[in-house]
Amino acid sequence: MDVFGSFALILAFVCALYAFVGGIAAIITRHPLLIKSARQAGIAVCGLIFTATLSLVYLFFTDNYSVAYVVSHSNRDLSTFFKIAALWSGQEGSLLFWSFLLAVYVVSVLLTYRNKNGELMPYVGVILAGVQLFFLTISNFVASPFKALGVANAAGSFDLVARADGNGLNPVLQYPEMVIHPPNLYSGYTGFTIPFAFALAALLARYPGEKWIHLTRKWTMIAWCFQTVGILLGAHWAYAVLGWGGYWGWDPVENASLLPWLTGTAFLHSVMMQEKRGMMKVWNVWLVFLTFMLCILGTLLTRSGVVSSVHSFAQSSIGNWFVGFLLIILGVCLAAYFKNKDYLKSENQLDSLVSRESSFLFNNLVLLVACVAVLSGTLFPVFSEWFTGSRISVGAPFFNKVNIPLGLLLMFLTGVGPLLAWRKTSTESMKRNFRGPVMAGLLGGMIGFSLGVREMFALICFSLCVFVATTIVQEFYRGARVVKARSSASWIASCVDLTLRNTRRYGGYIVHLGMVMIFIGLAGQAFNKEVEKELPIGSTINIGKYELLLQSMDRKQEKNYVADRMIVEVMKDKKPVMMLYPERRNFPTNQESGTMVAIYSTLREDLYVVYAGMNPQNNLPTIHVFINPLVKWVWWGGMVVVMGTIVALVPNRAAVLVLARTEAPSATRELSGIRPAQLTLREGHD
Amino acid sequence: MAAGVLFACAALMPPGAKRLLADQSDRTHQIGSKLKCMCSGCDQAAGKCYHVGGAYSGPCDTAKTMLKEIDTHIARGMTDEQVLKAMIQEYGPLAYVEPPKSGFGLLAWLMPILYLLGGTALVIVVMKRWRKRPVAVVATSSANGVRVSPELLARAREQAQRETEE
Repeated sequence: MDVFGSFALILAFVCALYAFVGGIAAIITRHPLLIKSARQAGIAVCGLIFTATLSLVYLFFTDNYSVAYVVSHSNRDLSTFFKIAALWSGQEGSLLFWSFLLAVYVVSVLLTYRNKNGELMPYVGVILAGVQLFFLTISNFVASPFKALGVANAAGSFDLVARADGNGLNPVLQYPEMVIHPPNLYSGYTGFTIPFAFALAALLARYPGEKWIHLTRKWTMIAWCFQTVGILLGAHWAYAVLGWGGYWGWDPVENASLLPWLTGTAFLHSVMMQEKRGMMKVWNVWLVFLTFMLCILGTLLTRSGVVSSVHSFAQSSIGNWFVGFLLIILGVCLAAYFKNKDYLKSENQLDSLVSRESSFLFNNLVLLVACVAVLSGTLFPVFSEWFTGSRISVGAPFFNKVNIPLGLLLMFLTGVGPLLAWRKTSTESMKRNFRGPVMAGLLGGMIGFSLGVREMFALICFSLCVFVATTIVQEFYRGARVVKARSSASWIASCVDLTLRNTRRYGGYIVHLGMVMIFIGLAGQAFNKEVEKELPIGSTINIGKYELLLQSMDRKQEKNYVADRMIVEVMKDKKPVMMLYPERRNFPTNQESGTMVAIYSTLREDLYVVYAGMNPQNNLPTIHVFINPLVKWVWWGGMVVVMGTIVALVPNRAAVLVLARTEAPSATRELSGIRPAQLTLREGHD
Repeated sequence: MAAGVLFACAALMPPGAKRLLADQSDRTHQIGSKLKCMCSGCDQAAGKCYHVGGAYSGPCDTAKTMLKEIDTHIARGMTDEQVLKAMIQEYGPLAYVEPPKSGFGLLAWLMPILYLLGGTALVIVVMKRWRKRPVAVVATSSANGVRVSPELLARAREQAQRETEE
């Protein structure tokens, strides 16, 4: 099967090469058969990548330890569930998995638009084939996942061997979220290839009209949604597995995932300027280009080892390939832009400084500043080494200090933007729109203060969250009131109807609401508490309102590991609440161990309990307990964000005109004795 | 402004979150939070280092050793500044968890401010330029007053539709 997979991969490379070169020839000659064959080759590439990926999965499932990658990342006792995760747990597999997800996108695009956008699609096909070609080059010639296991012999060559068992999967990856976090994050990264392809294709083809921007926006939203889910799942995994009580540590890999997310967010806002007002075309195209380049840069940062990272399981020396690819992309984008920049001529005109347009400009400014600040902070250790010869560390405290004010500024704009009208906002309407939310925000701040919140940033954050939430409720209320007056439906039905009529707008508000919830959760970090103690069996530890009693310890033998558990009874205000079982797992195959945190989670706070190990000197177990307020709001907020994005992707339920029979005036009926059929226009829905 | 920002994540981190660790004081951890864990696996602060790939996924042994060293310095009666200096002397400038606010490190702190100031200036310039641009008015007049061409009317209707739907 390894030969089969390897063959599929090389064939995919050949087809991608044809789709790329043949596609360029098709664009030049405009020969319909050539166009069709290039597209078919593009589809074949995807089929072959699927085949290669399934072959690798099959090798894991059948414990084929003659393949080096399988030996390094699996073992016989590993559950089938985690054998799927083993696919992307190392360099070679994760690059193949990248190609796989990209292929899913590519085949969707090629099939969806096979009979549409005839002028644009050959360009799109070539660009997508070019990106696939790069990843297939790496998977075939630099980091092949199908490389056979070999040992050096006396003659200086390698003998092929097969091992009885593998080295096992990294313990920290043996967690259910690890099976869904990387696919989501990778789907985000790879998904940004599609908007990039559409934007670059439109520029190269000088595609008339604004349709490409609608296509670009839709695919950006899909990628953005995956990226958001991926980032949040990663944060949750770090929280639930690593045992440090937090979920975001500003690690370079985390930062790398945030960069395209920030520029993607900026694009999703500024694209409205182009759709509504024909403005900022150059900016939008470059935002799409930048987002894609940041995806590649992120991969470069995390895989080249130029910056140290906790994600040590995915590093190697293929960075140079990514540098080369990044330079090629930049070159192509610059060339396309300078050749066709007149195509992007915008109708930039600002009627008033107090308008939706201005708020979007500032929104883009803050997002871009945050992006560049995170990027330069991440790369600063490398710069300092270049210029001074010694490396200067840039850790979490730096990123917090820089990004907290920017985050709050963004939250403020999240509330202000929707309240401002396009073109110009009158003083009257400003008063009308802002009065309620501002009062609510101030009241929220005062309540927070009276409840004892003294951390300045947390207080501002709570206040802004109330302000933004009120603006959203106000927008729904105003719209639903009109619908309700016309249809006499309930408030909930009116809100649903309203949302379905303009999914983008109200889906966007739901996303904002999710972000408000996330920010409430983030603000909760200002009140974290923690305590660590060596705890003999039968003794207790106190934190906040909780008292934890270590009842006993036990050991359970699982298929792939041995777990040492603490059996902890939790009491709140002297009453038993629940039992928690924090554990440490020891994996004999690779001589590694990992923690399994026990969490009692409520909307108010998380009680987070870690079994931190046994002190070898006195043989006492160490317990580490945290109280992390409001963390659940982050996860629930994330779900609301996803829900809002899905709503925004649903097409509007268009108001259509239908013919309906109505009652004729009674006088007419009486006079003629016949009721005439009268046609009136009534609003309906398709 | 969707989405606000995940990047503010560690945001609102506790400058003075209460730590009552068994064998180290609040002061030890406050000093430890200004020093980077020298385990070479990450950029975390000592005492907060739980990096993947360490001895096990949990508190990092190197960080624990560093905290014990800080404890020893405190026991000798050293001030916070003296402890920091002693630790930097031992581990080198790399042990600062955030860039120093002097020398080349100052640049790291100035960069975000420069981005924000530069970006704001750019936005203001752009807004001023866009404000100055004249509005193109296309209309045909007749004896009855101003008449609008059907094309312009259609365009205006389309624009009004676009701009009022959201």
